[in-house]
Amino acid sequence: MPRALRLDLDALSFNGAIGFVGAVAVFFLVAPTIIVVLTSFTSSAALRFPPDGYSLRWYLALVDADQMQRAALTSLVVASLATAGSVVLGATAALGLASVRGRWMRAIDALFMSPLLLPALAFGFAGLIFFNLVGYGLSLPTLIIGHVVVCVPFVVRTTLAALTQLDPALIEASRSLGAGWFYTVRRVTLPIIARGVGAGAFLAFMASFDNVPVSLFLSDARTEVLPIHLWEIIETNLDVRTAAASGVLIVFTVVVMVVAERFAGLSKQLR
Amino acid sequence: MTGSDIRRRAILGAGIAAGALAALPRRLGAQSQNLVVSTFPGTWNEAHREILAPYFRKQTGASVTQTILLATDQVTRLQAAQAGKNPPPFDVSILDEGPLLDAVKAGVLEKFPVDKSEHFKDLLPPFQDEWGPKISIQVIGIGYNPKKIKTPPKSWDDLWNPAYKGRVGLTALNSSLGMAFMVDLARVRGGSETAIEPAFKALRELLPNVGAISANLGAHAALFQQEQVDIAPYNFNFVQTLKEKGVDVEFVKPQTGAAAWRTSLHIVKGATLPDLALKYIDGHIAPEVQSEMQKSPFFVIPTNRKVSIGERVAKNIAATPDDFGKLVWQDWSKINQQRGEWIERFNREIKL
Amino acid sequence: MVGRRFLQLFALAEWQLILPLGLFFLAFFLAPLVVLVVLSFQTEISLGRFTGVHYGKFLGDAFSLGILWDTMVLGVEVTMVCALFGIPLAWISARASPRFQPVLLFLVVLPILTSVVVRTFAWIVILGRQGVMNKTLIWLGLVDEPLRLLFSEFGVVMVLAQVQMPLMVLPVLTTMQRLDPNLIDASAALGAGQWRTFLRVVLPLSLPGIVAGAILVFAACVTAFVTQTLIGGARLVYMPLYIYQQAIGANNWPFAAAISVVFLVCVLFAIYLLSLVGRASRGYVHA
Repeated sequence: MPRALRLDLDALSFNGAIGFVGAVAVFFLVAPTIIVVLTSFTSSAALRFPPDGYSLRWYLALVDADQMQRAALTSLVVASLATAGSVVLGATAALGLASVRGRWMRAIDALFMSPLLLPALAFGFAGLIFFNLVGYGLSLPTLIIGHVVVCVPFVVRTTLAALTQLDPALIEASRSLGAGWFYTVRRVTLPIIARGVGAGAFLAFMASFDNVPVSLFLSDARTEVLPIHLWEIIETNLDVRTAAASGVLIVFTVVVMVVAERFAGLSKQLR
Repeated sequence: MTGSDIRRRAILGAGIAAGALAALPRRLGAQSQNLVVSTFPGTWNEAHREILAPYFRKQTGASVTQTILLATDQVTRLQAAQAGKNPPPFDVSILDEGPLLDAVKAGVLEKFPVDKSEHFKDLLPPFQDEWGPKISIQVIGIGYNPKKIKTPPKSWDDLWNPAYKGRVGLTALNSSLGMAFMVDLARVRGGSETAIEPAFKALRELLPNVGAISANLGAHAALFQQEQVDIAPYNFNFVQTLKEKGVDVEFVKPQTGAAAWRTSLHIVKGATLPDLALKYIDGHIAPEVQSEMQKSPFFVIPTNRKVSIGERVAKNIAATPDDFGKLVWQDWSKINQQRGEWIERFNREIKL
Repeated sequence: MVGRRFLQLFALAEWQLILPLGLFFLAFFLAPLVVLVVLSFQTEISLGRFTGVHYGKFLGDAFSLGILWDTMVLGVEVTMVCALFGIPLAWISARASPRFQPVLLFLVVLPILTSVVVRTFAWIVILGRQGVMNKTLIWLGLVDEPLRLLFSEFGVVMVLAQVQMPLMVLPVLTTMQRLDPNLIDASAALGAGQWRTFLRVVLPLSLPGIVAGAILVFAACVTAFVTQTLIGGARLVYMPLYIYQQAIGANNWPFAAAISVVFLVCVLFAIYLLSLVGRASRGYVHA
């Protein structure tokens, strides 16, 4: 076979195979979300796809679901406070880490990143034991503390990444012009890394809002969060209201993503 | 955009957020009180959410947060809270007969203040108890898909019919349904609460027919909903609720007798809001609530003498007090003693 | 004047900025883990005497070891499926036109940010006996009767792979985007076909990203409590459910703590092995 033709076949088969696999991957990534949104508009009481008929009744039913609303509110409050805590602790730690070199930096960085790799479930359980032994018991503050531990790595990571992009010449220039350290940080460093911190805050917020392993142990019926409540409903009755709640959550996620992209350039931070 | 502009925006944003957050608790506090109660999965949590909670809110203005747990899990959590000297995770506990004995022994319940209750005296005598009123009876029998199984089954033995290979469902022993089924199976095969071997032998022989073993009652409902099984032991109430949702399922009492147990509500010791807890329990035994719950899709069997027995309950379970007496009542104190051992054995021997 | 002096004191030690988070971690991350380890050696909820009875119970019990093994195997299986589908997807995204790329990126990132409960719930609708997947398979004539997809290991692997795939795609995509395009051009110029270029040049050079993705996916899916319990049912018991059952269900904290410690050690060990591969591949890349 002539060489040119052989290579074309090769290119064709390669692009075909990769294209097919990639298409299947995208389909599997996207299809469940679409299916659940479509199912939420069903008019019947059964979870069937394709739905037998269409109606908004399950979304209207959410208006009466006051326990679900309370859980959603608790999740919002916990996520907001956990994000605030993560930003304060994480951004300052990243600022500090940027000035440390070598082995120490890698070790401390690994320590701060470890909640992302360690099974959060084990940590959640450890937290439950810890708070009980200390005599404090479970409450909203302990839940928030637990969330901060697993959310702060995001802020540290993105802030550090932004700091490495910061041109040290800018800092030197500021110092040489007579500005104190604190002033430099406030007026030069922070504005430049603001987007990095913002992206980290966004990731931390979503991580806290969606967190299950830590909430499983540190949240009880009086501090019920939304993912736990949804899981409980799904385990006990396959209700279509869960589909409607899922639809709302998906829209919420998309909106927050668009906001984060607009204000923090999220996609650039993730690359 | 200069750096100071970004900073100003950030501070402004943070200020607004902080203000909103500060305002939130006040809004939450301005709302009514919230009573945390436990409830069972399936028919129960829906009935409580749709009938009892609104009634309770009208009476007291307070809202209800449900935590869905099996009776045995509730006792465990109450014991854990007591051991750790923490407040209990819920103020009202709903328990079946077996776990109730455990709870009383563990000392996690308050005696029910009978004189403060409005409706307690209206309960039929078998349903009055110093620890808390019995709110209903649960009866188990055979649930089957009438579209796939044309002739209604007559007794437990029908489960072993080779025609149902892979179409039979079972459920784990941690629920009263699973436990009561196994004890009743032992009874019809010549054993009893203290001689459980015939039941295990029968279940091992059943395994080729078993299509799925549900781990909890929610999964058990899904088995019928998804048509994964066609026949399984099931509660009368849960079958009715599923049927009203459009799932193809019917209930039939085994001819050998239907096992039943009483379900009751209790105030937990150390409850955060004991007066509200009392009102909640009182609401469940009020005639209006019980007659609502007896209607479709819940068909909860009433215990208040002022509520007449509805048609479907009469047809399927019992129309007269005599019929109620014919139900099979099991000895839960004996069952409780061996529960842990049986559960472990079930997990190891009865596997697909 | 005094104020500036005060601040300059702070300026001398910028590293002290690490202290707030460091102390926080000491108190609320390391201390609980230490307590967890100590409790695993107890017989009741106190911190007194030491006994290894729970470890003996776990390591000597075939049932428990089976759960540990199943969990690790689950992680490996899901990681392989994610690699199989995620690497091509990353390659396509890396080479996509600037118009397409944000769209693809959005589609990849959206799942990770959506609640894991929502995503798993979507699969329950799909995998049921009357669900879309079975209906499609029957319609295509591939099977005669609906398969049992829910409550099966196959179902768990499939759902976990979809749920965690973005964690593989993103690091691989990052690495692929940094690939020197000259290398690929050189390979083509030397007469290698697309397949050869991909397998011999692109993949090895992307190995650091693939390893990073594998670590993230593995760590995420062995601990994926919600997906394992909703899709696997409670018949398929993996380590997370085992810990939860013993901790909250049976109220046996010391034993649950021992299981947690074993779990932690195994996951850390697996990640360590993977990172060794990563380090070796980095040497390969820069050699």
